[in-house]
Amino acid sequence: MAELALENITYVYGERTPFEIKALDDVSLTVREGSVTGIIGHTGSGKSTLVQLLNGLERPTSGRVLLDGKDIWEKPKEIKKIRFRVGLVMQYPEYQLFEETIRADIAFGPKNMGLSEEEINHRVKEATEFVGLDPILLDKSPFDLSGGQKRRAAIAGVMAMRPEILVLDEPAAGLDPRGRDIILKGIRDYGKKTGSTVIIVSHSMEDMATYCDDIIVMSHGKVYLSGTRDEVFAHAGKLTEVGLDVPQITRLALLLEERGIPLPHGIYTVDAALDALRSLFR
Amino acid sequence: MKNIALGQYYPAESPIHRLDARMKVILAILYIVCTFLCKNVLCFAALACSSILLILISRIPLRTVLRAIRPIIFIMLFTAVINLFFTKGEVLLFSWWKLQIYREGIYSAVFMVVRIIVLILGTSLFLTYTTTPIALTDAIESLLSPLRIFHAPIHEFAMMMTIALRFIPTLSEETSKIMNAQKARGVDFSEGGLIRRAKSLVPILIPLFVSSFRRADELATAMECRCYRGGKGRTKMTIPRLHVRDFVALFLMVAFGAGIVLLNRYGYGYTM
Amino acid sequence: MAEILIHAKELWCSYEEDDRRVPVLRGISLDIARGEYVAILGHNGSGKSTFAKLLNGILEPEAGELVVAGTNLASPDLTDDDIYALRREVGMVFQNPDNQLVATIVEEDVAFGPENLGVPSAEIRRRVDDALATVGMSDYAGHEPHRLSGGQKQRVAIAGLIAMMPSCMIFDESTAMLDPAGRREVIETFEKLNREQGITVLTITHYMNEAARADRVIVIDDGKILADGTPHEIFADPGRLIAAGLDVPQCTSLIHALRAEGVALEGEPITPEECADLLCRALEGKKHG
Repeated sequence: MAELALENITYVYGERTPFEIKALDDVSLTVREGSVTGIIGHTGSGKSTLVQLLNGLERPTSGRVLLDGKDIWEKPKEIKKIRFRVGLVMQYPEYQLFEETIRADIAFGPKNMGLSEEEINHRVKEATEFVGLDPILLDKSPFDLSGGQKRRAAIAGVMAMRPEILVLDEPAAGLDPRGRDIILKGIRDYGKKTGSTVIIVSHSMEDMATYCDDIIVMSHGKVYLSGTRDEVFAHAGKLTEVGLDVPQITRLALLLEERGIPLPHGIYTVDAALDALRSLFR
Repeated sequence: MKNIALGQYYPAESPIHRLDARMKVILAILYIVCTFLCKNVLCFAALACSSILLILISRIPLRTVLRAIRPIIFIMLFTAVINLFFTKGEVLLFSWWKLQIYREGIYSAVFMVVRIIVLILGTSLFLTYTTTPIALTDAIESLLSPLRIFHAPIHEFAMMMTIALRFIPTLSEETSKIMNAQKARGVDFSEGGLIRRAKSLVPILIPLFVSSFRRADELATAMECRCYRGGKGRTKMTIPRLHVRDFVALFLMVAFGAGIVLLNRYGYGYTM
Repeated sequence: MAEILIHAKELWCSYEEDDRRVPVLRGISLDIARGEYVAILGHNGSGKSTFAKLLNGILEPEAGELVVAGTNLASPDLTDDDIYALRREVGMVFQNPDNQLVATIVEEDVAFGPENLGVPSAEIRRRVDDALATVGMSDYAGHEPHRLSGGQKQRVAIAGLIAMMPSCMIFDESTAMLDPAGRREVIETFEKLNREQGITVLTITHYMNEAARADRVIVIDDGKILADGTPHEIFADPGRLIAAGLDVPQCTSLIHALRAEGVALEGEPITPEECADLLCRALEGKKHG
């Protein structure tokens, strides 16, 4: 398994042109091995750029991306190997499906890795299970699947490469609550069962509160807050300051606190709120 | 990615930018005619001067202007060489083996080069550099509209152009997204021979086609829901109006053409 | 009761798959009055989008009655002109903000609708300026759509409808592809249109938070109407919504959990503010009691 770290990363778009934009500004962070880490921030906070740096799709203007302490750009010719170790699922990944069957599409990544037929079949089966896709669908064309199923197939395509670090950009965007839960649970299971690190980029604080161990909050190209879920939600007030939506239950806790009702800090689940209120009503 | 330049339009405030697009199309055509009217040294000198003047008026940096000429340097050299060696004349300047260069050959080569440069500069300065692609589309639609009586699908053509212009940036952004997604699955676009490279395009092209069809379908529905029924009965928000400046420009261009014709009569030296 | 704008009775619709007819809508009956702000809530595949597409003639009903703004969409002699007339009255904003803008400049796009209607030029100019001002996009009139954010693109799409002066606007999952800021922009825009101009707003969504803001919520599940009422009535039964694959506001869950443990709480709060009020009152009462 591998540890991922960023060291003083700066990324500038359109350098030396009138359109120059600093997307990331001296960002340093470490992603805990084996954790599910959430990255949250507004559109334009730099989180999408960050994601593309993690597996070497983009090269930082300055600073280093370290995988197990080694700069991933040490040998630029071997960047492809890094992409197999750090798997990236882009936003709306269903638009990348191209093979005739779902099975062939999920097998595409493992095939590019040069794995044996047998290993590929095994990986396809395993990945299908992770995302909860019905095996009957494997021999169907991507066009015959619903939006949610396509999304799951596309994510399975990256999981089948069994990356040590799985990065997903908005994996649940546009899905309904049921579809969202299936996908996020599958992603968490992948991390647990393979011991891989999972990084989820999302706009939804409620999803973060439910599925992530650690949270990194980005704002204006910098890390604004980071730490374990409890640590980050202990600063719930700071999150609303940069205009992020905190979970509804956290808003309620903040409101009650304002009215002088004693509640512990950092409530972000209904259960935690229930525990706190239960003792007040006794 | 969001900043890709559509066409070569160079935003600036200049008298040429301000002209009506339809007039600019007409001016460009007249200017091309002028380059073909030129017959002698005086005319070509006047033509070259007029081009320099146009560059100055358009306020487009010289470097940008020269970029338009770069792609045709080869054709220019080729034409020059052909003219240099194959124009027969009276004054032989140089002869070696079968190659002979006459004084007329030199004139002719220089004339042709000037003519080609001015042709490119003229169209670039009147059209691509100073007119947005959409204004150009509208202008062409408007100028061709008399052809409607022959049932030519002018409106449909213009609508197609507009939609293409609208979606070029969207699709180019999408292409780079799909490329990144497939790179993340181990596709390498720079490795291997021609066949392998061509093969690696399949995972890009199929999703791109699929998505383009989906977009086209959704756009068609959205257009119908906004009561689009083709060009019939449609009005326009902005009806372009010709201003005094447009007629002044037209007058100057016609005067220039007349000047060229006059100079042809009083020319000396080599005449084409 | 105000004038009925949308009347549906026992409405059926199905699509064809492998030569079989798969019913999507299985007997929808409802009436929506002019000026209402209604959310249609349902998971993906529940039939809510199909219903929306019937309302302005993109799809055809199979059986039942459907009358929208006086146009009988179930009539066998429905003509293209009828649908054209209907679409002037009932506008629709779609899900993907990229695939509904036609022109390369924002104001040209807003003008597209009225140009199709053959409105005189000066009048189009006035309508476009007003529409852009209403959605707060006047400063972007000369911009290229592809440089705008998702929320801004949707607001331009809304302006494009306003310029056609419809009496009803349907938002077919128009916020699904947007970030939270964009979602807020779009919702605030259509709420303003409903409030200030009396435009009937129908928003199709699977976001419970969005539905909770409407005056009336209709829950569709498996092609049928599961519930129809005010948000407070709808969220009073969390179990029913969860069974239909939907979320329940966290505050609602909390109150129901507390009640299940024997805490006496009156009312059905949806927002944190309402919930805080309720809890404070209850704690206050307990202190004095």
